[in-house]
Amino acid sequence: MTRLRQLRNQVGYVLTSLPLAVVGFAYAVVTVVVGGALALTLLGLPLLSSGVLGARGWGWLHRALARATLGLRVAGPRPVRRRPGPVGYVRSGLGDGTGWRALAYLIVKLPVTLVATAVIAAFLCYPVFLLSHPLWWSQRAALQLGDFLFDTWPRSFLLAGIGAGMLVAGTWLLRLVLLLDGLLIRGLLGPTSLDARVDDLEEARALAVDDAAALLRRIERDLHDGTQAQLVALAMKLGLAKEKLAGDAAPEARALVETAHRDAKIAITDLRDLARGIHPPMLDNGLEAALDTLVARGAVPVQLRVEVHDRPSPAVETTVYYCVAELLTNVAKHAAAQRATVEVRQLDGLLRVQVADDGGGGAMIGKTTHALPGGGLAGLRDRARTVDGTMRIDSPPGGPTLVTLELPVRR
Amino acid sequence: MTGLRVVIAEDSGILRDGLSYLLADRGHLVLAAVADPEALRAAVDEHRPDVAVIDIRMPPTYTDEGLRAALAVRAAHPGTPVLLFSQYVETRYAAQLLAGGAEGVGYLLKDRVAEVGEFVDALTRVAGGATVLDPEVVTQLLGAARGPGHLAGLSERERAVLALMAEGRANVAIASALFLSVGAVEKHITSIFGKLGLPPTETDHRRVLAVLRYLQSGR
Repeated sequence: MTRLRQLRNQVGYVLTSLPLAVVGFAYAVVTVVVGGALALTLLGLPLLSSGVLGARGWGWLHRALARATLGLRVAGPRPVRRRPGPVGYVRSGLGDGTGWRALAYLIVKLPVTLVATAVIAAFLCYPVFLLSHPLWWSQRAALQLGDFLFDTWPRSFLLAGIGAGMLVAGTWLLRLVLLLDGLLIRGLLGPTSLDARVDDLEEARALAVDDAAALLRRIERDLHDGTQAQLVALAMKLGLAKEKLAGDAAPEARALVETAHRDAKIAITDLRDLARGIHPPMLDNGLEAALDTLVARGAVPVQLRVEVHDRPSPAVETTVYYCVAELLTNVAKHAAAQRATVEVRQLDGLLRVQVADDGGGGAMIGKTTHALPGGGLAGLRDRARTVDGTMRIDSPPGGPTLVTLELPVRR
Repeated sequence: MTGLRVVIAEDSGILRDGLSYLLADRGHLVLAAVADPEALRAAVDEHRPDVAVIDIRMPPTYTDEGLRAALAVRAAHPGTPVLLFSQYVETRYAAQLLAGGAEGVGYLLKDRVAEVGEFVDALTRVAGGATVLDPEVVTQLLGAARGPGHLAGLSERERAVLALMAEGRANVAIASALFLSVGAVEKHITSIFGKLGLPPTETDHRRVLAVLRYLQSGR
């Protein structure tokens, strides 16, 4: 009984697939041929990009059909990495390996489905006709193969036997073709082993990066609440001692206490700068508050605009903060700018940070006249990369300079 | 000078004890020394102190609990002088604090506690209703205020006078800091009021307004 139900499901799968395969094949061919032919024009590449991205939808449809009828469970591929803007759209489409693989599936799906349909017709429907031969044959109407006429009972039963044999063979053949189809679905519509590995690594790295951010925040807090408070209390007591010694006639002791008092104050300042470098405390109040105070401290007048609806992960916030801080320092140091703007905007899952100035331009990665050696712009790019971010610099000689960072809001 | 009645809110035990000792040493009365915003509110309700000394970072989140507690205290008991101190100077905090009225408000870096004389002096001025801002706040605001705005018309000298006003200095102190005569300082201040468009009434109130204008221009 289960074997019969299985067969029914398999036949149902093939027959449903058939129109989908035909239309899908046409879709793939049109996408590649038309998109490719128009690639030289302005319209071709966006078209091709849409086609590749749309193939993902076909992939989803075929995976869903296979799961519903055959019980074949294939995980979906990684979601597409969308880049903002029209150019980004074209790039994310053309660079989408998953979409291209889905297109390939649509191409090979048609022959596979045609073979499966043929198997159903030749080895499942036709044998039923043969099997029924003993029921309806007569002297006047009997099946004939070449000159051989099945017009006796033994011959008619022989024919029915052949039909039964073909039926058994047919179910196996169908299974074979569907096995091939299943392999294609797994191979072309599922995640690649590389995808799975990338997922693993991304997750592990995200944990490590967030751990590091949390750890730094804790260190800063420990410094603030422990060491700094102790130093302040120490400096205060030394200050008191200094005043109390003021009238006494022990100039050496007084000089010592004065020196100690001064040293303690220097230590407080040093420690504060150190702690601020580890984790900006204002970030605990959110990115906008932190950038606001950062901008207020700057040497060049800065216009700040922040439009972010979701709170980014701590590591992303820290990265944005330090990158903007470093870029503004660069502006003040090298650009001879009158004013600068800082813009942080959320575009779906992406955070776009733009720092612009009206200075002399000429900034580039790895150039020591503008970038700090061993850090600077290359260091910023590396910093952005740890959270899957990118950095672009547009700084023609003579200015103006625009640095764009793009980072995922959350990972 | 009679001693002030003081409430201290500071989460670090060693610093809390140090402050209590210092203030007691200078003849002030520490009514309560507490470690969190809740206890601070209760202590102010109970004792109605002359001034409250509050650390900005306190539990539970260690961000701006102290600032919010200070605003709550001033909302519950208007006019209660508060002196906030902080490990870092954040102009945003200073502006929030002053937005609810600038009289009897102080904002200092924790480092200033080391200069015990100046610290106690600042506390006394805050308790007396003055506005005392850390020189560091003033520097940052001055740095940020170069753009076009109310302050653009001020001369270097007038800005220096305004900066000292923001630190809560009286005219005599400003005069000695800038090596000017008191009369010259008064002239500068009148000129500042004029350029900032402040009406000629209630001189003390105008000083506060000038400082506020100064802070807003930094925003």
